[in-house]
Amino acid sequence: MTELDKYLIVGAALFVLGAIGFLTRRNLIVMMLSAEMMLHGVGINLVAFNYEHQHNQGQSFTIMILTVAACEAGLALVLILSLYKRRKTLDVDVWGELGEAKPLCDVRLERRATVVEPQEEEFSVDPRLTPAGRLPQFNKQESVTRV
Amino acid sequence: MFSLDTTLLAQMETPWAIILPVIVIGLSLVWLLPRGGKGLSRLSQILALALIWGSLFSLTGLGHIAVTDVLFGVFSTGAILGGICMITSRNSAYSALWFAIVTLSVCGLFLLRSAPFLSAATVIVYAGAIIVTFLFVLMLAQQEGTAGYDATSSSPLLTTVFGMVLFGSLILGISSWPKISISAASPATSAAGTEVAKAPAAQGHRYFTSAETEQANAWSRHPEGEVGSLHGLGRSLFGDYLFAVEFAGTLLLVACIGAIAMAPRRSQGTL
Repeated sequence: MTELDKYLIVGAALFVLGAIGFLTRRNLIVMMLSAEMMLHGVGINLVAFNYEHQHNQGQSFTIMILTVAACEAGLALVLILSLYKRRKTLDVDVWGELGEAKPLCDVRLERRATVVEPQEEEFSVDPRLTPAGRLPQFNKQESVTRV
Repeated sequence: MFSLDTTLLAQMETPWAIILPVIVIGLSLVWLLPRGGKGLSRLSQILALALIWGSLFSLTGLGHIAVTDVLFGVFSTGAILGGICMITSRNSAYSALWFAIVTLSVCGLFLLRSAPFLSAATVIVYAGAIIVTFLFVLMLAQQEGTAGYDATSSSPLLTTVFGMVLFGSLILGISSWPKISISAASPATSAAGTEVAKAPAAQGHRYFTSAETEQANAWSRHPEGEVGSLHGLGRSLFGDYLFAVEFAGTLLLVACIGAIAMAPRRSQGTL
Protein backbone atom coordinates (compact mmCIF):
# COMPACT_ATOMS: atom_id res chain seq x y z
CA MET A 1 0.00 0.00 0.00
CA THR A 2 1.68 3.16 -1.18
CA GLU A 3 1.48 6.68 0.23
CA LEU A 4 -1.08 7.61 -2.38
CA ASP A 5 -3.36 4.74 -1.43
CA LYS A 6 -3.50 5.84 2.20
CA TYR A 7 -4.68 9.29 1.24
CA LEU A 8 -7.16 7.86 -1.22
CA ILE A 9 -8.56 5.62 1.52
CA VAL A 10 -8.94 8.55 3.91
CA GLY A 11 -10.66 10.51 1.16
CA ALA A 12 -12.97 7.61 0.40
CA ALA A 13 -13.78 7.21 4.11
CA LEU A 14 -14.67 10.88 4.45
CA PHE A 15 -16.80 10.73 1.31
CA VAL A 16 -18.70 7.67 2.48
CA LEU A 17 -19.20 9.08 5.99
CA GLY A 18 -20.55 12.26 4.46
CA ALA A 19 -22.91 10.28 2.24
CA ILE A 20 -24.18 8.27 5.20
CA GLY A 21 -24.68 11.40 7.24
CA PHE A 22 -26.49 13.14 4.40
CA LEU A 23 -28.88 10.24 3.97
CA THR A 24 -29.56 9.39 7.59
CA ARG A 25 -29.61 12.62 9.54
CA ARG A 26 -32.84 14.57 9.65
CA ASN A 27 -31.51 17.97 10.65
CA LEU A 28 -31.14 20.22 7.61
CA ILE A 29 -27.94 21.82 8.86
CA VAL A 30 -26.28 18.52 9.71
CA MET A 31 -27.17 17.34 6.21
CA MET A 32 -25.43 20.34 4.70
CA LEU A 33 -22.38 19.75 6.94
CA SER A 34 -22.26 16.15 5.69
CA ALA A 35 -22.27 17.40 2.10
CA GLU A 36 -19.33 19.63 2.97
CA MET A 37 -17.55 16.60 4.38
CA MET A 38 -18.03 14.79 1.09
CA LEU A 39 -16.33 17.75 -0.59
CA HIS A 40 -13.44 17.37 1.87
CA GLY A 41 -13.00 13.78 0.78
CA VAL A 42 -12.85 14.82 -2.86
CA GLY A 43 -10.35 17.54 -1.97
CA ILE A 44 -8.04 15.04 -0.26
CA ASN A 45 -8.15 12.89 -3.38
CA LEU A 46 -7.25 15.81 -5.61
CA VAL A 47 -4.40 16.99 -3.42
CA ALA A 48 -2.97 13.48 -3.12
CA PHE A 49 -2.94 13.09 -6.89
CA ASN A 50 -1.51 16.57 -7.19
CA TYR A 51 1.47 15.52 -5.09
CA GLU A 52 1.77 12.26 -6.93
CA HIS A 53 1.92 13.90 -10.33
CA GLN A 54 4.03 16.89 -9.19
CA HIS A 55 1.63 19.09 -11.08
CA ASN A 56 -0.45 21.96 -9.77
CA GLN A 57 -3.71 20.98 -11.37
CA GLY A 58 -5.09 19.24 -8.33
CA GLN A 59 -4.67 22.22 -6.07
CA SER A 60 -6.29 24.48 -8.65
CA PHE A 61 -9.25 22.14 -8.77
CA THR A 62 -9.45 22.11 -4.98
CA ILE A 63 -9.56 25.90 -4.95
CA MET A 64 -12.48 25.71 -7.39
CA ILE A 65 -14.16 23.24 -5.02
CA LEU A 66 -13.59 25.68 -2.18
CA THR A 67 -15.29 28.45 -4.17
CA VAL A 68 -18.26 26.29 -5.06
CA ALA A 69 -18.52 25.11 -1.45
CA ALA A 70 -18.66 28.70 -0.24
CA CYS A 71 -21.44 29.52 -2.74
CA GLU A 72 -23.29 26.36 -1.84
CA ALA A 73 -23.09 27.05 1.88
CA GLY A 74 -24.44 30.57 1.46
CA LEU A 75 -27.36 29.57 -0.74
CA ALA A 76 -28.12 26.53 1.43
CA LEU A 77 -28.29 28.67 4.54
CA VAL A 78 -30.69 31.09 2.86
CA LEU A 79 -32.91 28.21 1.73
CA ILE A 80 -32.79 26.63 5.19
CA LEU A 81 -33.76 29.95 6.75
CA SER A 82 -36.72 30.42 4.44
CA LEU A 83 -37.82 26.83 5.04
CA TYR A 84 -37.52 27.37 8.77
CA LYS A 85 -39.62 30.51 8.51
CA ARG A 86 -42.54 28.50 7.09
CA ARG A 87 -42.73 25.58 9.50
CA LYS A 88 -40.55 26.63 12.43
CA THR A 89 -38.50 23.45 12.45
CA LEU A 90 -35.26 22.17 10.95
CA ASP A 91 -36.66 18.67 10.49
CA VAL A 92 -36.40 17.55 6.88
CA ASP A 93 -39.23 15.03 7.21
CA VAL A 94 -41.70 17.89 7.48
CA TRP A 95 -41.01 18.59 3.83
CA GLY A 96 -41.68 15.01 2.77
CA GLU A 97 -44.76 15.95 0.76
CA LEU A 98 -44.20 18.85 -1.53
CA GLY A 99 -47.80 19.32 -2.66
CA GLU A 100 -50.72 20.82 -0.79
CA ALA A 101 -51.82 19.55 2.56
CA LYS A 102 -54.60 17.19 1.35
CA PRO A 103 -54.27 16.43 -2.35
CA LEU A 104 -57.38 15.17 -4.21
CA CYS A 105 -55.51 12.55 -6.16
CA ASP A 106 -57.69 9.55 -5.33
CA VAL A 107 -59.84 8.68 -8.35
CA ARG A 108 -62.22 6.53 -6.38
CA LEU A 109 -63.04 9.39 -4.04
CA GLU A 110 -63.88 11.66 -6.97
CA ARG A 111 -66.07 9.01 -8.63
CA ARG A 112 -67.94 8.39 -5.42
CA ALA A 113 -68.46 12.11 -5.03
CA THR A 114 -70.03 12.34 -8.51
CA VAL A 115 -72.23 9.26 -8.18
CA VAL A 116 -73.69 9.67 -4.71
CA GLU A 117 -76.57 12.14 -4.58
CA PRO A 118 -76.50 14.53 -1.67
CA GLN A 119 -79.19 13.70 0.87
CA GLU A 120 -81.39 16.73 1.26
CA GLU A 121 -82.60 16.07 4.75
CA GLU A 122 -82.29 19.61 5.93
CA PHE A 123 -84.42 21.11 3.19
CA SER A 124 -86.98 18.32 2.83
CA VAL A 125 -89.70 20.53 4.30
CA ASP A 126 -89.33 23.04 1.53
CA PRO A 127 -91.07 22.71 -1.84
CA ARG A 128 -88.74 21.37 -4.52
CA LEU A 129 -88.12 24.20 -6.87
CA THR A 130 -85.31 24.81 -9.24
CA PRO A 131 -82.80 26.94 -7.39
CA ALA A 132 -82.61 30.47 -8.72
CA GLY A 133 -80.10 32.65 -7.02
CA ARG A 134 -78.85 32.00 -3.58
CA LEU A 135 -80.86 30.21 -0.95
CA PRO A 136 -82.61 32.43 1.58
CA GLN A 137 -81.20 32.38 5.04
CA PHE A 138 -83.53 30.84 7.60
CA ASN A 139 -83.24 28.55 10.54
CA LYS A 140 -84.84 25.17 10.71
CA GLN A 141 -87.19 25.58 13.66
CA GLU A 142 -89.05 28.51 12.10
CA SER A 143 -89.73 26.56 8.94
CA VAL A 144 -90.97 23.57 10.89
CA THR A 145 -93.41 25.72 12.86
CA ARG A 146 -94.60 27.34 9.65
CA VAL A 147 -95.59 24.01 8.22
CA MET B 1 1.85 -4.93 5.54
CA PHE B 2 0.76 -7.61 3.20
CA SER B 3 2.73 -7.83 0.02
CA LEU B 4 1.14 -7.81 -3.38
CA ASP B 5 4.00 -9.70 -5.02
CA THR B 6 2.76 -13.25 -4.71
CA THR B 7 -0.38 -13.15 -6.74
CA LEU B 8 -2.00 -16.21 -5.24
CA LEU B 9 -1.56 -14.93 -1.70
CA ALA B 10 -2.86 -11.55 -2.74
CA GLN B 11 -5.90 -13.09 -4.34
CA MET B 12 -6.52 -15.19 -1.27
CA GLU B 13 -6.01 -12.51 1.35
CA THR B 14 -6.95 -9.19 -0.12
CA PRO B 15 -10.76 -9.50 -0.25
CA TRP B 16 -11.10 -10.61 3.37
CA ALA B 17 -8.55 -8.08 4.52
CA ILE B 18 -10.90 -5.50 3.03
CA ILE B 19 -14.30 -7.06 3.66
CA LEU B 20 -13.86 -7.87 7.35
CA PRO B 21 -12.79 -4.37 8.47
CA VAL B 22 -15.52 -2.84 6.31
CA ILE B 23 -18.15 -5.05 7.98
CA VAL B 24 -16.81 -4.17 11.41
CA ILE B 25 -16.93 -0.47 10.56
CA GLY B 26 -20.48 -0.80 9.30
CA LEU B 27 -21.71 -2.63 12.40
CA SER B 28 -20.08 -0.06 14.67
CA LEU B 29 -21.70 2.74 12.70
CA VAL B 30 -25.12 1.12 13.04
CA TRP B 31 -24.45 0.79 16.74
CA LEU B 32 -23.52 4.46 17.02
CA LEU B 33 -26.28 6.05 14.93
CA PRO B 34 -29.23 7.42 16.91
CA ARG B 35 -32.25 5.15 16.97
CA GLY B 36 -34.51 6.74 19.53
CA GLY B 37 -34.50 6.13 23.21
CA LYS B 38 -31.50 6.90 25.34
CA GLY B 39 -28.14 7.32 23.72
CA LEU B 40 -25.23 4.96 24.12
CA SER B 41 -23.11 5.17 27.22
CA ARG B 42 -19.69 6.76 27.01
CA LEU B 43 -17.92 3.42 27.34
CA SER B 44 -19.72 1.78 24.44
CA GLN B 45 -19.16 4.87 22.30
CA ILE B 46 -15.42 4.64 22.96
CA LEU B 47 -15.51 0.91 22.26
CA ALA B 48 -17.23 1.42 18.90
CA LEU B 49 -14.82 4.18 17.93
CA ALA B 50 -11.89 1.96 18.87
CA LEU B 51 -13.30 -0.82 16.70
CA ILE B 52 -13.59 1.55 13.75
CA TRP B 53 -10.11 2.94 14.36
CA GLY B 54 -8.57 -0.52 14.55
CA SER B 55 -10.30 -1.59 11.35
CA LEU B 56 -9.10 1.49 9.53
CA PHE B 57 -5.60 0.91 10.89
CA SER B 58 -5.62 -2.60 9.53
CA LEU B 59 -6.91 -1.25 6.22
CA THR B 60 -4.22 1.35 5.80
CA GLY B 61 -1.57 -1.03 7.09
CA LEU B 62 0.94 1.39 8.56
CA GLY B 63 4.26 -0.38 8.53
CA HIS B 64 7.49 1.31 9.44
CA ILE B 65 7.13 4.39 11.59
CA ALA B 66 8.37 7.73 10.34
CA VAL B 67 7.46 11.27 11.35
CA THR B 68 5.24 11.78 8.35
CA ASP B 69 3.59 8.45 9.09
CA VAL B 70 2.86 9.54 12.65
CA LEU B 71 1.50 12.85 11.43
CA PHE B 72 -0.55 11.09 8.81
CA GLY B 73 -1.91 8.76 11.48
CA VAL B 74 -2.86 11.65 13.74
CA PHE B 75 -4.52 13.68 11.02
CA SER B 76 -6.32 10.81 9.33
CA THR B 77 -7.55 9.49 12.68
CA GLY B 78 -8.75 12.96 13.56
CA ALA B 79 -10.51 13.36 10.24
CA ILE B 80 -12.27 10.00 10.25
CA LEU B 81 -13.17 9.84 13.93
CA GLY B 82 -14.30 13.46 13.80
CA GLY B 83 -16.47 12.59 10.83
CA ILE B 84 -17.99 9.62 12.63
CA CYS B 85 -18.67 11.71 15.72
CA MET B 86 -20.18 14.38 13.50
CA ILE B 87 -22.73 12.14 11.85
CA THR B 88 -23.56 10.28 15.05
CA SER B 89 -23.78 13.20 17.44
CA ARG B 90 -27.21 13.79 18.92
CA ASN B 91 -26.61 17.48 19.39
CA SER B 92 -26.36 19.36 16.13
CA ALA B 93 -24.16 22.11 17.58
CA TYR B 94 -21.66 19.42 18.54
CA SER B 95 -21.93 18.14 14.98
CA ALA B 96 -20.78 21.51 13.69
CA LEU B 97 -17.88 21.54 16.15
CA TRP B 98 -16.85 18.02 15.13
CA PHE B 99 -16.91 19.23 11.56
CA ALA B 100 -14.39 21.87 12.58
CA ILE B 101 -12.14 19.04 13.82
CA VAL B 102 -12.57 17.27 10.48
CA THR B 103 -11.65 20.45 8.63
CA LEU B 104 -8.52 21.04 10.69
CA SER B 105 -7.40 17.43 10.21
CA VAL B 106 -7.99 17.66 6.47
CA CYS B 107 -5.88 20.81 6.43
CA GLY B 108 -3.13 18.87 8.18
CA LEU B 109 -3.34 16.24 5.44
CA PHE B 110 -3.11 19.03 2.86
CA LEU B 111 0.05 20.26 4.56
CA LEU B 112 1.56 16.77 4.44
CA ARG B 113 0.89 16.69 0.70
CA SER B 114 2.72 20.03 0.29
CA ALA B 115 -0.29 22.28 -0.16
CA PRO B 116 0.28 25.08 2.39
CA PHE B 117 -1.73 27.76 0.63
CA LEU B 118 -4.66 25.45 0.15
CA SER B 119 -4.49 24.43 3.80
CA ALA B 120 -4.61 28.05 4.96
CA ALA B 121 -7.41 28.88 2.54
CA THR B 122 -9.44 25.90 3.73
CA VAL B 123 -9.02 26.91 7.37
CA ILE B 124 -10.13 30.44 6.57
CA VAL B 125 -13.08 29.53 4.37
CA TYR B 126 -14.40 26.50 6.22
CA ALA B 127 -13.52 27.00 9.86
CA GLY B 128 -13.68 30.76 9.66
CA ALA B 129 -16.75 31.34 7.53
CA ILE B 130 -18.85 28.28 6.83
CA ILE B 131 -18.91 26.66 10.27
CA VAL B 132 -19.50 29.98 11.97
CA THR B 133 -22.50 30.80 9.77
CA PHE B 134 -23.87 27.28 10.17
CA LEU B 135 -23.57 27.58 13.94
CA PHE B 136 -25.20 30.99 13.76
CA VAL B 137 -28.24 29.63 11.92
CA LEU B 138 -28.33 26.60 14.18
CA MET B 139 -28.42 28.68 17.33
CA LEU B 140 -30.97 31.01 15.77
CA ALA B 141 -33.32 28.20 14.80
CA GLN B 142 -32.77 25.69 17.59
CA GLN B 143 -32.58 27.66 20.74
CA GLU B 144 -33.99 24.96 22.99
CA GLY B 145 -31.05 22.65 22.37
CA THR B 146 -31.45 19.06 21.27
CA ALA B 147 -34.56 18.49 19.19
CA GLY B 148 -36.50 15.28 18.76
CA TYR B 149 -35.54 14.79 15.14
CA ASP B 150 -31.86 14.80 16.08
CA ALA B 151 -32.34 11.78 18.32
CA THR B 152 -33.59 9.54 15.51
CA SER B 153 -32.15 8.94 12.09
CA SER B 154 -34.03 7.81 9.04
CA SER B 155 -33.29 4.19 8.02
CA PRO B 156 -29.79 3.87 9.51
CA LEU B 157 -29.32 0.20 8.66
CA LEU B 158 -30.07 0.46 4.96
CA THR B 159 -27.99 3.58 4.49
CA THR B 160 -25.02 2.16 6.33
CA VAL B 161 -25.14 -0.98 4.21
CA PHE B 162 -25.17 1.24 1.12
CA GLY B 163 -22.28 3.29 2.44
CA MET B 164 -20.19 0.29 3.36
CA VAL B 165 -20.76 -1.31 -0.04
CA LEU B 166 -19.60 1.94 -1.62
CA PHE B 167 -16.59 2.12 0.71
CA GLY B 168 -15.59 -1.48 0.11
CA SER B 169 -15.81 -1.16 -3.63
CA LEU B 170 -13.81 2.08 -3.55
CA ILE B 171 -11.08 0.43 -1.49
CA LEU B 172 -11.11 -2.60 -3.76
CA GLY B 173 -10.67 -0.30 -6.72
CA ILE B 174 -7.88 1.64 -5.03
CA SER B 175 -5.97 -1.45 -4.00
CA SER B 176 -6.31 -3.21 -7.35
CA TRP B 177 -5.54 -0.18 -9.47
CA PRO B 178 -1.69 -0.08 -9.23
CA LYS B 179 -1.50 -3.79 -10.03
CA ILE B 180 -3.37 -3.22 -13.27
CA SER B 181 -1.30 -0.24 -14.33
CA ILE B 182 1.99 -1.90 -13.37
CA SER B 183 1.18 -4.86 -15.54
CA ALA B 184 0.17 -2.53 -18.36
CA ALA B 185 3.07 -0.08 -18.11
CA SER B 186 6.76 -0.75 -18.19
CA PRO B 187 8.30 -2.25 -15.02
CA ALA B 188 10.64 0.71 -14.53
CA THR B 189 7.71 2.98 -13.70
CA SER B 190 6.45 0.89 -10.81
CA ALA B 191 8.39 2.83 -8.21
CA ALA B 192 6.96 4.07 -4.95
CA GLY B 193 5.69 7.62 -4.53
CA THR B 194 8.93 8.99 -3.13
CA GLU B 195 10.99 8.11 -6.14
CA VAL B 196 8.37 9.51 -8.43
CA ALA B 197 8.40 12.67 -6.37
CA LYS B 198 12.14 13.07 -6.84
CA ALA B 199 12.28 12.83 -10.59
CA PRO B 200 8.80 12.82 -12.04
CA ALA B 201 9.57 14.06 -15.52
CA ALA B 202 12.63 11.93 -16.06
CA GLN B 203 11.22 8.67 -14.81
CA GLY B 204 7.76 8.82 -16.22
CA HIS B 205 4.79 7.89 -14.14
CA ARG B 206 2.69 4.99 -13.06
CA TYR B 207 -0.59 6.32 -14.34
CA PHE B 208 0.32 8.58 -17.21
CA THR B 209 3.26 8.73 -19.48
CA SER B 210 5.41 11.80 -19.07
CA ALA B 211 4.61 13.03 -22.57
CA GLU B 212 0.92 13.27 -21.74
CA THR B 213 1.48 15.27 -18.59
CA GLU B 214 3.98 17.50 -20.33
CA GLN B 215 1.51 18.35 -23.05
CA ALA B 216 -1.56 18.96 -20.94
CA ASN B 217 -1.66 22.22 -19.00
CA ALA B 218 1.94 23.25 -19.25
CA TRP B 219 1.51 26.25 -16.95
CA SER B 220 0.51 23.99 -14.08
CA ARG B 221 3.85 22.22 -14.13
CA HIS B 222 6.30 24.11 -12.00
CA PRO B 223 9.66 24.43 -13.73
CA GLU B 224 11.69 23.65 -10.62
CA GLY B 225 9.45 20.74 -9.78
CA GLU B 226 8.43 22.41 -6.55
CA VAL B 227 4.76 21.68 -6.18
CA GLY B 228 2.24 23.58 -4.13
CA SER B 229 4.16 26.79 -3.72
CA LEU B 230 2.30 30.04 -4.12
CA HIS B 231 4.26 30.79 -7.25
CA GLY B 232 3.36 27.52 -8.91
CA LEU B 233 -0.27 27.69 -7.83
CA GLY B 234 -0.57 31.23 -9.17
CA ARG B 235 0.92 30.19 -12.48
CA SER B 236 -1.54 27.33 -12.68
CA LEU B 237 -4.58 29.37 -11.69
CA PHE B 238 -3.89 32.42 -13.83
CA GLY B 239 -2.25 30.56 -16.69
CA ASP B 240 -4.15 27.40 -17.43
CA TYR B 241 -7.32 28.09 -15.50
CA LEU B 242 -7.85 31.79 -16.09
CA PHE B 243 -11.34 31.32 -17.51
CA ALA B 244 -12.22 29.02 -14.64
CA VAL B 245 -11.06 31.65 -12.16
CA GLU B 246 -13.17 34.30 -13.87
CA PHE B 247 -16.10 31.95 -13.91
CA ALA B 248 -15.63 31.17 -10.22
CA GLY B 249 -15.66 34.88 -9.46
CA THR B 250 -18.89 35.27 -11.43
CA LEU B 251 -20.33 32.31 -9.58
CA LEU B 252 -19.52 33.92 -6.24
CA LEU B 253 -21.20 37.13 -7.38
CA VAL B 254 -24.31 35.30 -8.56
CA ALA B 255 -24.50 33.32 -5.33
CA CYS B 256 -24.13 36.51 -3.30
CA ILE B 257 -26.94 38.25 -5.23
CA GLY B 258 -29.10 35.14 -4.97
CA ALA B 259 -28.57 34.84 -1.25
CA ILE B 260 -29.54 38.48 -0.72
CA ALA B 261 -32.59 38.13 -2.98
CA MET B 262 -33.84 34.95 -1.32
CA ALA B 263 -33.19 35.90 2.27
CA PRO B 264 -36.26 36.57 4.41
CA ARG B 265 -37.06 40.27 4.42
CA ARG B 266 -37.27 42.20 7.61
CA SER B 267 -40.65 43.58 6.52
CA GLN B 268 -42.00 40.03 6.29
CA GLY B 269 -41.09 39.44 9.90
CA THR B 270 -37.96 38.03 11.37
CA LEU B 271 -37.44 34.53 12.62
